[in-house]
Amino acid sequence: MTATLGARPAPGRGRARARHRLAVLGFMAPALIGFVLFFGYPLIATVVFSFTKYDLINAPEFTGLDNYTFMFKDDLLIKSLTNTLWFVLVLTIARTVFALGVASVIARLKSGVGLIRTLCYLPSLAPPVAATLVFFMVLRPNDGPLDKLLDLFGLQSPLWFSDPSWAKPGITAIMLWISGDLMIIILAAILDVPQEQYEAAELDGAGPIRRWWHVTLPTISPVLLFGIVNSVILALQLFTQAVVAGSAASGSADTTGSTKYLGFPENSTLTFPVYLYTKGFRQFDMGYAAAMATVLFIISFGVTIVLVQRMRKNSSAEEGGPGA
Amino acid sequence: MTATLAKPPVDVSTEPEQPKKPRDVRGILNWVATHALGIALGLMFATPVVFVFLTAVMSDNQAFTADLWPREWHWENFIEVFDKAPLFQYLFNSLTYSLLATAGMLLSSIPAAYALAKLKWRGRNVAFLLVIGAMMLPPQVVAVPLYDTWSSLGLTGTLVPLIAPYFLFDAFSIFLLRQFMLTIPQSYVDAARVDGCSEFQALVRIIVPMARPGIAATALFCFLFTWNDYFGPLLYTGEVKDQWTLSLALASFKGMHIVQWNSAMAVTFLTMIPAIILFIFAQKSFVKGITFTGVKG
Amino acid sequence: MRKHTRAALLCVAAALTLTACAAGKGGGANSDAAAAPGKDDKLTLTVWSNYSDREYEEVTKALKTFNKKFPNIEIKHEGSQDDDKITAGIRSGNTPDVALSFTTDNIGSFCSTGAFQPLKPYLDRDKVDLNQISPAVRDYTEYKGNRCAMPMLTDVYAMYYNTGMFSDAGISAPPKTLDELFEDAKKLTKKSANGDIEVAGYLPTMGFYANRPTILAPNFGAEWATADGKSGLSTSPGFTEMMTFQKKLVDFYGFDQLERFRAGLGQEYSADHAFHQGKIAIMMDGEYRTAFLKAQAPQIKFNTAPFPTWKPADYGTAFTTGTIMGIPKGAKNPGAAWELIKHLSFDTDTIVDLSNAIKNVPSTKAAMDSPKLEVDEQFKTFIDLAKSDKLKGNPVTPIGDAHIKAVTDFAAEYTSGKVPDLAAGLKKVDQSIDDQIAKSGK
Repeated sequence: MTATLGARPAPGRGRARARHRLAVLGFMAPALIGFVLFFGYPLIATVVFSFTKYDLINAPEFTGLDNYTFMFKDDLLIKSLTNTLWFVLVLTIARTVFALGVASVIARLKSGVGLIRTLCYLPSLAPPVAATLVFFMVLRPNDGPLDKLLDLFGLQSPLWFSDPSWAKPGITAIMLWISGDLMIIILAAILDVPQEQYEAAELDGAGPIRRWWHVTLPTISPVLLFGIVNSVILALQLFTQAVVAGSAASGSADTTGSTKYLGFPENSTLTFPVYLYTKGFRQFDMGYAAAMATVLFIISFGVTIVLVQRMRKNSSAEEGGPGA
Repeated sequence: MTATLAKPPVDVSTEPEQPKKPRDVRGILNWVATHALGIALGLMFATPVVFVFLTAVMSDNQAFTADLWPREWHWENFIEVFDKAPLFQYLFNSLTYSLLATAGMLLSSIPAAYALAKLKWRGRNVAFLLVIGAMMLPPQVVAVPLYDTWSSLGLTGTLVPLIAPYFLFDAFSIFLLRQFMLTIPQSYVDAARVDGCSEFQALVRIIVPMARPGIAATALFCFLFTWNDYFGPLLYTGEVKDQWTLSLALASFKGMHIVQWNSAMAVTFLTMIPAIILFIFAQKSFVKGITFTGVKG
Repeated sequence: MRKHTRAALLCVAAALTLTACAAGKGGGANSDAAAAPGKDDKLTLTVWSNYSDREYEEVTKALKTFNKKFPNIEIKHEGSQDDDKITAGIRSGNTPDVALSFTTDNIGSFCSTGAFQPLKPYLDRDKVDLNQISPAVRDYTEYKGNRCAMPMLTDVYAMYYNTGMFSDAGISAPPKTLDELFEDAKKLTKKSANGDIEVAGYLPTMGFYANRPTILAPNFGAEWATADGKSGLSTSPGFTEMMTFQKKLVDFYGFDQLERFRAGLGQEYSADHAFHQGKIAIMMDGEYRTAFLKAQAPQIKFNTAPFPTWKPADYGTAFTTGTIMGIPKGAKNPGAAWELIKHLSFDTDTIVDLSNAIKNVPSTKAAMDSPKLEVDEQFKTFIDLAKSDKLKGNPVTPIGDAHIKAVTDFAAEYTSGKVPDLAAGLKKVDQSIDDQIAKSGK
């Protein structure tokens, strides 16, 4: 992108350009300072730590690539990375689709909208530890409410957080249940779609589904991109819900989300950030944790770039505009 | 622009798609189906929060057991938590943290989002990617170098390390606001420029009013995130009880081999009330605003 | 060439973290004992712990008894401070004078990194007789001879059994051997008509409640390390026996049925605990459970006994761990902090009162023998075990809880039937623990 001036007329171009630059600088200045302080500096520190042996207490000791080569010996690292990638894939898709679906239903409601919207948002208002614990109780097999409900139909609920193959889907369910913020954002965007576009589509004989597909979706695509990127980040950083669900399943939940052994059952809830935290703070190997953070950062940044580029291509193809 | 304003704002509760004559059978069926689905969703989302409440009024012995309906209703649990923890002090601190952080976020993020959404400049795409990248460092790792910095400034034990960053940079908000601003047609900004507005004026007079719903939503999320933030306050204010926020009060109900579930859930419920009230008011403002800008043509 | 980059990198690191300076600052003080305060010195000691509510009040009361010796020292006790918080504080010099931690698993790291100051100079200066504390408790408060913490009360683990169920099943005495345990567990188990477990005699799921390899290890005679300091799981017959025994029990119930039963059990720290609900008849747990059971489940008739052992000669052994107290690096009043720690570690009245209040086992022999200590039938088992020289402490390594996690993970995997070769599996766990210890360089 070169610095062009949009619709600005030719005369006075130099001064206008200077003013424009000043405006950009002025608008971005706080963000720039904040970025350097709260992102740039910690990032550099993390990368530097990643080449050291660092126990958090004593001065870091340079160890070259040791932390990175050790990763290949570390089964748990592979396990936690697989878990996190599972969430990136499943949670991102499920959360975006679910939030879009719920928002679309709410958008079609004609009465009681305010109440239902509030109800849908309620779980997102609960502190994450409490939300996870309560959800755990609701899904509890044998005598939980869901199990009793399924019993009426002669079904048996899966062992949500206790069965290694159901623990991640269980956590995904929690994340969907607290995805009210994304629902509200998408709802806002859906309601924002200009009425004329629907009318035009209707004149062309499009039914409600085709209108939704051809009008609603493309118009809200910047917000959907936000939803996707936001969900990817959420999945990559999944921590509290995984720790709390794991500790509750191992029978020793508490109110602050600490646990004796992380990852219960069979490390199926050991996400990359949880393992990273374990290494850094429980096992005093911050150098290794920093190396893990660096790897996570590279992966996630890569994913984002691909996503953003793809979305940009799509939306410029459709609108010819600046894109998402 | 005048054309837009001339159209009266549509009331939210009627949805934007004009209802077709509800008398025809398909319409009624459709109405029933949609609303049944809506109610089912509402119930599904509400259920666990009801359990938070029910647990809060249970006896010590019943709380967090398989028995989900209170055998006796211990309303006094809500009173007792005030003896166990200075909740009004915590409430004051929570409000300080959330309100100042939200105000700071608005001051710093709106201009940045505008520059990223509506101004053209070299490096804009890179800057945008960096904003997203900033969200990707695990907070557990970032905390280590940041804690050192705040500690060397002598500011640990206060809310400053939690609030100050919002006055400069909050990647989530910048990203969200930018996406909302992208949905505002460029022609409005260009028109303002033709009318001789400076970029600042264009932002304040055109973009801010038009992006009001997005701004309201972003402010709400910022408020609620800081309201429920546990890790930050624990790290920075943990040893100074006067500075604790409501979210930290949960830690007061956990001992070495004891957890007081009913008290913890009572505090959870009390903590949620201000947030729920805020949401009820805020959603009105931003959804109304949304229909308003929605009539842009 | 390499030297230069290394130096440059260290400079950056130092500038970035300030830890290098902090290391220099605290280093000198460690070799000598700081002077004890004068009797009437006025100063403030801050104490961080993870206690809250009633426990917090009781511990504060215990801390205040220090004022009998030093009336002008003000004690500020901050509860609800977890280990991460303590670590963050130590790194930045924002530390308390005394830190209390529940996480004994971290003692190796606390000592070897210098996060907690060495106490040897103080012990030597004051000629403290450590024999007042049992060897197992001493073990979990030091690492490789570097004592950096003292115990504040201990937890001891033993067998709880439901006497009502025992008499219903016609069992007259608690099991003492693994075979007896297995047979009793079978007799006590009740299944419904469709095969669902209604009562489990003994729950063998590893990592659930207190059924953890660390806690079970002494009863199986399992040794964590070989003579040359390597991880010794595969060479210790005890671990093999532990895995085999738990697996045998899991197979008796059937893994799927057991899992379905277990997934519906209540939380350890609630009145819904399976033992409180009469859903399990035998379990391993700490002494604190006696008080909970009496308060929360008066209808459950129970007793306690040493947990059965693999080898009869070992009978009477038990696992112990507990809260630890240390002086963090950078503490402002280390001399006074030591006096407070010494007071809490050895003052019999204080220990007994605190033990009575929060129902933990006292950490000194004198306190255990005190007539003021409230001991009922069920609690007595724990006191007896604590006095025994067969008591075993938490295994200490410089890698935090990594070794414990590795074994627990493996145990869960093995008992679920996913590991075909036990010996090879244990070897792999050994390898992984040794790799991590080698990496830590300590």
